[in-house]
Amino acid sequence: MAIHSLSCHLLLLLLMSSLDGLIKPGSAFIHDWDQRASSVTLEPHITGCLSRDQETFRCWWSPGNFQNLSSSGALRFFYLKKESPNSQWKECPHYIYSNRECFFNMTYTSVWITYCMQLRGENNVTFYNENDCFSVEDIVRPDPPVNLNWTVLSISPSGVSFDVRVKWEPPPSADMATGWIRVHYELQYRERNTTKWEALEMQPQHQQTIFGLHIGKKYEVHIRCRMIGFKKFGELSDSIFIEVSEVESTETTFSFTIVVVFGIVGILILVMLIIVSQQHRFMKILLPPVPAPKIKGINAEMLKKGKLEELNLILSGGGMGGLPPFAADFYQDEPWVEFIEVDAEDTDSGEKEDHQGLDTQRLLGLPQPINQPMNIGCANTISFPDDDSGRASCYDPDLLDQDTPVLVTTLLPGQPENGEALLDVVGGTSTPERSERPLVQIQTTGPQTWVNTDFYAQVSNVMPSGGVVLSPGQQLRTQESTSSTEQEETQKREKDSEGEEKKEQQFELVVVDPEGHGNATESIAQQALTTPVSPIPGEGYQTIQPQQVETRQAAASEDNQSPYVGPEFPMAQFSVPVSDYTIVQEVDTQHSLLLHPPPHQSPPPCLPQPPPKSLFGMPVGYITPDLLGNLSP
Amino acid sequence: MNSFKACSGFINGLSLTGRPGESQDTMHAMMTVKHTAAWALLLWPCLFTVSVPLDCKDEQVSITRCPFISQEKLLDRVIQHAELISRISEETCSLFEEMFVPFPLRLQRNQAGYTCITKALPIPSSKSEIQQISDTWLLHSVLMLVQSWIEPLIYLQTTLDQYDNAPVILLNKTKWVSEKLISLEQGVVVLIKKLLDEGALTASFSEQSLFQYEPAPDLLESVMRDYILLSCFKKDTHKMEIFLKLLKCRQTDKYNCA
Repeated sequence: MAIHSLSCHLLLLLLMSSLDGLIKPGSAFIHDWDQRASSVTLEPHITGCLSRDQETFRCWWSPGNFQNLSSSGALRFFYLKKESPNSQWKECPHYIYSNRECFFNMTYTSVWITYCMQLRGENNVTFYNENDCFSVEDIVRPDPPVNLNWTVLSISPSGVSFDVRVKWEPPPSADMATGWIRVHYELQYRERNTTKWEALEMQPQHQQTIFGLHIGKKYEVHIRCRMIGFKKFGELSDSIFIEVSEVESTETTFSFTIVVVFGIVGILILVMLIIVSQQHRFMKILLPPVPAPKIKGINAEMLKKGKLEELNLILSGGGMGGLPPFAADFYQDEPWVEFIEVDAEDTDSGEKEDHQGLDTQRLLGLPQPINQPMNIGCANTISFPDDDSGRASCYDPDLLDQDTPVLVTTLLPGQPENGEALLDVVGGTSTPERSERPLVQIQTTGPQTWVNTDFYAQVSNVMPSGGVVLSPGQQLRTQESTSSTEQEETQKREKDSEGEEKKEQQFELVVVDPEGHGNATESIAQQALTTPVSPIPGEGYQTIQPQQVETRQAAASEDNQSPYVGPEFPMAQFSVPVSDYTIVQEVDTQHSLLLHPPPHQSPPPCLPQPPPKSLFGMPVGYITPDLLGNLSP
Repeated sequence: MNSFKACSGFINGLSLTGRPGESQDTMHAMMTVKHTAAWALLLWPCLFTVSVPLDCKDEQVSITRCPFISQEKLLDRVIQHAELISRISEETCSLFEEMFVPFPLRLQRNQAGYTCITKALPIPSSKSEIQQISDTWLLHSVLMLVQSWIEPLIYLQTTLDQYDNAPVILLNKTKWVSEKLISLEQGVVVLIKKLLDEGALTASFSEQSLFQYEPAPDLLESVMRDYILLSCFKKDTHKMEIFLKLLKCRQTDKYNCA
């Protein structure tokens, strides 16, 4: 008997051990929950354990192929809670035999502690898989969320797709309020009758938006959740169905289009009414009149009739048409703008000298109102009064000797013709670059009077762009005297020299290039001053007793003073209104301008030998930048 | 804090690479652990500086270094820290498991449940128990947990450096967690003072360090030990997170949080 039972046991043991080999290694339920191996395992085993809320859990077992143990009570469930090395196996606290389930309630559930399960049959036969150990937090599968519902969020304007917002509530079994469990939700949707589920990104909120669903199609949506930081998902919830029919979308677009159409029609009607009723006020608002180009005094029909000459006359400002001189009209309000006006009446003699005399007379003697344009004798006959002072045609390059004094005017930088005229006036030297308009300022000498101050305009300021701001000259001006250094001025070719105030007893000829070629305040042929000494009667400049001279450079002056050279003129003593300008007498070896020429009371019979540095052939006081290079000794 | 950084930086700098040529397993990346053991022992005193919590009130410059923060905000921040640390520790553990632990051995972490270093701490682990303990005890439990994990994490950083093909992300995560744990400790200390009106805490756990370093006999053992260390850490961070959240629930709504 005993041997028989012993052999039975041995046989059973052998059988079990052989069966052990059939058990897949590592096939604990904790890994194979979802993919149960095919029942190679025949012995009773734990099929799985599950916790829904991390507060309780339950385990299930199966008798396997041991049918004799399938009756309830034949197998006993034991667990080990590994709290200490001395832990003992304990029996299941609560059996549910109908399910072959063992339920652990809150008292028996400890998180973060390893549990091991085993089954025991009769006679202390244990069916134990070492791998059936777990920790409760690893087996938590939260219940699915409840109360899933959806609302339409928006419909695309094309009426093809729409967005829907799905909301739900957390599973009631999970204690999320106290933070015992923290879950992420995963929403899945698919089109009805397809097999593939689209899963949205997991997130902890209780709502999610599905974008891009199609109108007219049916969709199925369900949701599941899992604990954050763990791998196991809970069950999927029941599906809800989403469908949006096409009617709704078209209604909204229909009403929208109607509103738009009515609006447009209304506006059109209003506009038409306004146009038709010819309310000029509204017409002006709606369709403002376009101004046509016009010139005062000129009728466009004149052109049509071919009266070109008349047109020319009018345009040129001859008294007939009443058309005011264009330029003067244009600049009427600018006191600092002066023009040299060609006076046809003065062209009676072709002699240069006469012209010179005329010129100088005009320059020096005749007081004239400031704002009127000055007349310069013009060698060439002029058919009509030339308002533009700088007309090139007026001036003959051969008109003046090379040594003739410089006739200096300050000109508006923007008038090339002026520049050319000046060049021509100034000197016989060909100035190759007519386009450049060196602006010449001539400083006055001391208390000598000035020439017609209105003949010249004083540069009061030089703009950064190189343009020159002119101020009208004034007849008389008290002298201000400051000392300045010639050398500074000669060296500097920029505007700094403008800042310099009066120079004392210096003549300085400042050339400012309105085109901004370094704004050269150039010393010029000072010889201009020596040359005035020459017996040319026409010269307006002479070496003057250097006296208080104001050197007015481009920037400094703000007075309405005429920048004039007020050389001592044998003819008269002039009260020098403005000693703003000085004529450069000479340039010494150091490129400094000498503005104190040895005073010549009487014009020397011959031109003084210009120092080698002087400009040759250059009219006094006038230099173009290209000739600057010649300044160097 | 600076001394800790210096120490940890120094330790990290000692990373030793594995012997080239051994390539049988992923686990063959290990170095002679004895070297690290020696270094760790030498630098042992460094670790003491870590466990001293930053005490704002005692320092005269406390105003500039400890700006005022409301209690709720502080608790929220501490909870954020704990949640983040828990998540990163879980990721670290999975990463390590995938890379270095062979499949059959992966369940050993459950087997070794009672060998976690913090097993000796008197911390409840069932919900019923946890709901019954006081706020004080909750906070102190958290503090104990945090403080006892600071050292092992430093050790983990050094060991992980020795793995030949340890992914950089693993090392970075470990390092990050190590740093954040220290911030968490500071936060909890301040919280204790604010909530419980307790005085400054001295270094409570540094004397009896729970972490006993022993050189492992072979490669597999070291890997398994590291693996178990990471799993235990993951559990403990989860515990900290839950404790702190329960505390917050109690602060905001005392009656529903039982």
